[in-house]
Amino acid sequence: MRLRLLVLYHLACAYDSLRANRSRTILTVLGIAIGIASIIVILSLSAGASRIISDQVNDLSGTVAVVRPGTATDQPQLNNLTSALAGSKTASNLTEEDLNDINQIDGVTAAAPLMIIGGTVTAGDTVPEESTIIATTPELPTVSEMAIREGQFIDSVTNVNTAVIGAQLAVDLFGTEQAAGRTFRTHDRTFTVIGILARTDNPINYNNVDFDHAAIISLDSGKQFNQNVASIQQINIRTNDSKDLPSVIKQVDVELAKNHFGERDFTILAGEDLARPANELFYAIGATLTVVAGISLLVGGIGVMNIMLVGVAERTREIGIRKALGASNSHIVWQFLLESLVMSLVGGLLGYGLGYIVAFAAARTFLTFNPVFSWEIAAAAFGTALIVGLLFGLYPSIRAARKDPIASLRQYH
Amino acid sequence: MSKTTTPPAIVLKDLKKVYGMGDAEQTVLDGIDLKIQRGEFIAIMGPSGCGKTTLLNILGLLDHADDGEYLLDGRSVDTISSGRRARIRSEQIGFVFQSFNLIPGLNVIDNVALPLTYKGTSKTKRLIEASKMLSTFHLSEREYYMPWQLSGGQTQRVAIARALVNNPSIILADEPTGNLDSRSSHVIMQELSDIHQQGNTIIMVTHNPNLTSYASRVITMLDGQIASDTKTPRPKKSRIATKQRLDSRRETKKQAKKEKVASQQRRRS
Repeated sequence: MRLRLLVLYHLACAYDSLRANRSRTILTVLGIAIGIASIIVILSLSAGASRIISDQVNDLSGTVAVVRPGTATDQPQLNNLTSALAGSKTASNLTEEDLNDINQIDGVTAAAPLMIIGGTVTAGDTVPEESTIIATTPELPTVSEMAIREGQFIDSVTNVNTAVIGAQLAVDLFGTEQAAGRTFRTHDRTFTVIGILARTDNPINYNNVDFDHAAIISLDSGKQFNQNVASIQQINIRTNDSKDLPSVIKQVDVELAKNHFGERDFTILAGEDLARPANELFYAIGATLTVVAGISLLVGGIGVMNIMLVGVAERTREIGIRKALGASNSHIVWQFLLESLVMSLVGGLLGYGLGYIVAFAAARTFLTFNPVFSWEIAAAAFGTALIVGLLFGLYPSIRAARKDPIASLRQYH
Repeated sequence: MSKTTTPPAIVLKDLKKVYGMGDAEQTVLDGIDLKIQRGEFIAIMGPSGCGKTTLLNILGLLDHADDGEYLLDGRSVDTISSGRRARIRSEQIGFVFQSFNLIPGLNVIDNVALPLTYKGTSKTKRLIEASKMLSTFHLSEREYYMPWQLSGGQTQRVAIARALVNNPSIILADEPTGNLDSRSSHVIMQELSDIHQQGNTIIMVTHNPNLTSYASRVITMLDGQIASDTKTPRPKKSRIATKQRLDSRRETKKQAKKEKVASQQRRRS
């Protein structure tokens, strides 16, 4: 009761004294706000990035599993992280036979391979900077829920020299998305475009392929570029129902182990596990950047301490008066501590808003995903603001409280 | 006044205070024995550096004595914690300073209400009490003025109102009229005298011998010791007499001129 009254009183005092030194307060608060804003930008965007894959997995309502070569569990984490971006460069030991066996399993609606082929695509003199050639089977649109914007997907009857390309690759190659019927060359062969994929704006996904920049050819063509061997980087499996998924995964495991002489040199991922490698990467990047942003917050905090020390020195006499009138040391500590807390929390609030403004601006201009609002991020922002206020306000406050009232009263301005 | 039944408000036994150390050691208080009854108005006189202010600071629990005993309302306050000392300051002691010491950032009523804050009084109650106190000093219209908008005399009246607002058992005044002109000094002394007559204990440090006529007891200090301690049965009419004595020489000349003019006018009418 007594304490609550005092806190209210000191809050009012803090408000008054902060208002009295308006420009000084604003600059100090700005220092905190910038620090908090950078933390917000980083946390909200990295959370946004790692949510992309989770959302895709959720959109498929738990009916998708993915087989990848290599054992994910054995791999050191960093290796695992980079493989997510590099498109699984492990030498592939998944074969067409594996794919066929998977297709036979009960409960599997469809399974499609992803065979990623190196090399460039060209149309005349145009060589797009970014392109991926993927060989797959006609089942891929069913499995990964891909939409065709124009034309058709490759199927069992289409010519081997036909391809489906991503919307952005069409623009890069031909200057237009209306590219059906045009031709491009790769590996010394000419392909005719028979379909254009709908734009996904989704470079980060569990296929590790940006379909906007992809040229999709049939698995037979892909094999021809690879000395007639299908080197499959990933097999996507779709089941009828999410309930079937666990049993399907078990059967796939058994079948593939049989094909691979009992060696489990492959990984089956489903649900959250699909998103994990990329998520871990984003978290690692986010954490590193947060530490850097923390340094700017540290600078802001030192600014608070600096201003508080100036305030304490300026108000030495006031401290003496207050002590003479009955203020105890803890009263004085509270008075100054609340002042620094008010500054840092207002800074936190400002920084929260500012951070999201910047994050949304960045998302709109050059990112393909939106920042995330979550109570964790808000708590992290205000928690750090609070800690900064406490940490950097405590020393000046204690210094204020320790002042000798007699010496303080003797000090003239 | 009443001094037989109640225990003395303050008892000092062989109080000592030393500043500095080694060659620079300086004994400021050298064995002070003093008993102050409730309701006394004490003027402490003495040359600069005789230890008056130090004594006042120790009485007000702002400073520690190095040796000796200090009983406030019959309780020893030598060994209590700084928190308890602050509590006693807030509940039992009112300070009036030479340089007024209002907090510049707070308006008049907030300054007066300040001691109540540390007692834990609610905001509304604080403001009501402060307002009441200000009205007894005829400062009701000045409640929301800032300290710099007041004259010296008004500022000191606000400071006295502040010292009284928590209803302290003793009021400590360190040269309350030191920064005031003679007219304002007189007003302030009258206020203090009124407070005294209402039964408050006042201990005042002063350089001005004229002010001692308001006091019921005059203590003279010299080199950290009490040189003389005299009770002055205060004549009722002395207040009017001191009015003139208070004034500085220049003031007296002005006053004389004024009086001349006044008397001339009186004669004419």
